[in-house]
Amino acid sequence: MLRSLWIAVVLLVFAVVLMLAPLRFTSPVPPAVEVPDWATATTPVRQPKMRPQYEAGVFTYRCSECHAIIPPREQAYRTPLQHKEILSEHGINTHCLNCHHPSNRDAFVDDVGGEIPWDQPQLLCSKCHGPVYRDWQHGSHGRTDGFWDESQGPRLRRKCIECHDPHHPPFPALRPAPGPRTLRMGPPDHTSAHSAHNPLRLERYGDTGTDSRSLDEEQ
Amino acid sequence: MRDADQPQSSGASPQGPRAANLTRRAFITKGAAAVAGASAVAAAVAPLATIDREDIPSIGEFLQKHYKEMTAEDKEQVFARIRLEVEKRHGVKVTLTDPPALNGVEYVYGLNISRCIGCRRCVHACVKENNLSRSPELQYIRVLEMKKGSIDVESADHYYDPATVPDPDKYYMPVQCHQCAKPPCVKVCPVEATWQEPDGITVIDYDWCIGCRYCAAACPYWARRFNFTDPQVPDGEINPDMTYLSNRPRQKGVMEKCTFCLQRTRVGRMPACLEVCPTGSRKFGNVLDPDSEVAYILRHKRVYVLKEDVGTIPRFFYYFDERGSRYHDPIGAEDTGGDA
Repeated sequence: MLRSLWIAVVLLVFAVVLMLAPLRFTSPVPPAVEVPDWATATTPVRQPKMRPQYEAGVFTYRCSECHAIIPPREQAYRTPLQHKEILSEHGINTHCLNCHHPSNRDAFVDDVGGEIPWDQPQLLCSKCHGPVYRDWQHGSHGRTDGFWDESQGPRLRRKCIECHDPHHPPFPALRPAPGPRTLRMGPPDHTSAHSAHNPLRLERYGDTGTDSRSLDEEQ
Repeated sequence: MRDADQPQSSGASPQGPRAANLTRRAFITKGAAAVAGASAVAAAVAPLATIDREDIPSIGEFLQKHYKEMTAEDKEQVFARIRLEVEKRHGVKVTLTDPPALNGVEYVYGLNISRCIGCRRCVHACVKENNLSRSPELQYIRVLEMKKGSIDVESADHYYDPATVPDPDKYYMPVQCHQCAKPPCVKVCPVEATWQEPDGITVIDYDWCIGCRYCAAACPYWARRFNFTDPQVPDGEINPDMTYLSNRPRQKGVMEKCTFCLQRTRVGRMPACLEVCPTGSRKFGNVLDPDSEVAYILRHKRVYVLKEDVGTIPRFFYYFDERGSRYHDPIGAEDTGGDA
C-alpha cells in the first residue's frame, strides 16, 4: 500500500516538474553572424584598365597624347609634376622606362626595345619574374576563373596586374572575414581560462587554468 | 501489498472474488497512481503536440530506397518530392539534379600554402554555395593560423581576427575534406550512407544517414559536420542550383561534408571556394588529364599531404613555391622599408 502511494507521489512530482518546466532549455546556438557581401565577392582585388588610359578630372587621355609633346626624361625616377599618385615601390626596379616604352607610351618595352601591348602585361613581368611566369602559364600561380573543363566552358586566367599593383607589387593585406562560431568551436574566447577546454587542443600543458596560447608562445 | 489487502477483502463482497479485491483504500491509492502515471506520460509526450510537421518524415521519404538501389524512375520521384519540400519550406523554386560522375575524371585539389593569406573568403563562399546552416553555424572549411616554423595543427588557431591578414609571423593552412582514396569515414559507416564516387568524391545520402556520427569520429581531418539542430538557412539565401548528393537542404540529425561542390564541378565549373579565393592559392582539376593545372603542380611543385602517416591517401595537396613565402622581403638595398 505504502509502495503504490510512493509511486503515485513520485510520478505526480515528475508530472508537475515536466509541466512547469522550471529548467527552461536555453539553446547553446549563438545567433547567426552577419556575413558582409565582400566576404563572398569573386571580383579580383584589382580591376586595372587594360588600356593605356590616363584620367585627369573628367578628361580621359591616351598616354601618348601627352607624351607626344612631353620629351622623355631618361633615367627618370619620377616626373616631378605628373603621376604623383604613382608610387614606384617595385624593389630595385624604380625607373619608369624599365617597363614603359621610351618612345611609344601606349606600350611596354621588352628586352630588346620592342613593344609589348598594354593588355599583355604578363609578357612584361616575365622579363624579370621568369619562374613565376612559368608557374602562371601552367596555372600553379595566379587566379583561374571559369571552368576547369574547357570542353564545357571557357577558362579565364587572371593577369598579373589583376592581383599585383605593378608600382607596388606585394599582394595587398585584406580584412579577414568573420571567424568561426560553430557549435563545437563556440564563440571566440582567447583570454579566459576556458580556452583550455577547447576540444581541438589536447590538454598537454596540464590543467593550470592559464591561457594555453601564452603557453604556446613560451614553448 | 497483496498480503495486506487479502484479509479485508475475504468476506466483504457478495459480487465475487475480483470485485472483492477492490477495497476503497486500494481503489483510491491505485487510482491516484494511475492518474499520476497517466499525467506523467501525458506530460512526457506533450512536446509531440508542438512538433514541427517537417520533422516527421513523409511516407515517401520513409519508404525511400538507398540511392544506389534506386532506378531512374525512383530517383525522379524522390527528386520531385524533395523539390516540393524545399519549395514549401523556403518558397524558392529549385533545380534538383543528379549529374553523374564524368568518365575519366578524378578530382584533385591543390592549395598553395605560400600564397594563402588566411582571409577566410573560401569559408563563407562555401557556406553560401552549399546551403550550410547559418545558425548554428556549420562550415566545411577551417583556416588554421600557424606560427612560422611549425606545422603543429594542435597549436593552430582558427579564431584569429586581426585588422588585416596576413600576420607577418604566421602562415595559414585551410583544411576541408581531403576526399581520401582510402576514406576511413566510409569504412565505419554502419548503413553505407556514405561512399566514394568514381570521380573520387565521398558523398552522403542524407536520407539514408542515421546520424551515428561514427564517420565524424573516424575522420582524421575533422571534415564532417553534424546537424545537431535543424539547419537554418534564410529563404533569400538558398542556392537553388542543387544536386541530390551535395548541397540540397539537410535535415536535423544527419551528417554532411564538403563534396568539392559536386553541383558545380560535375558540370565543368570550379568549386566555390576556388572561385572566391582572391590570391589564387586554390587549384582544382582532373588529375588524369596531364595538361591540367593540378597535374602540373603534382609533377613540378613541392607537394605534401596532411597527416600522411594515417594512410588515408588524400586527394587534397598542399604545395609551396620555391622562393620563400610571399614576396614581402625587400629585394634590394634601396628598399629598406620592407613594410609591405
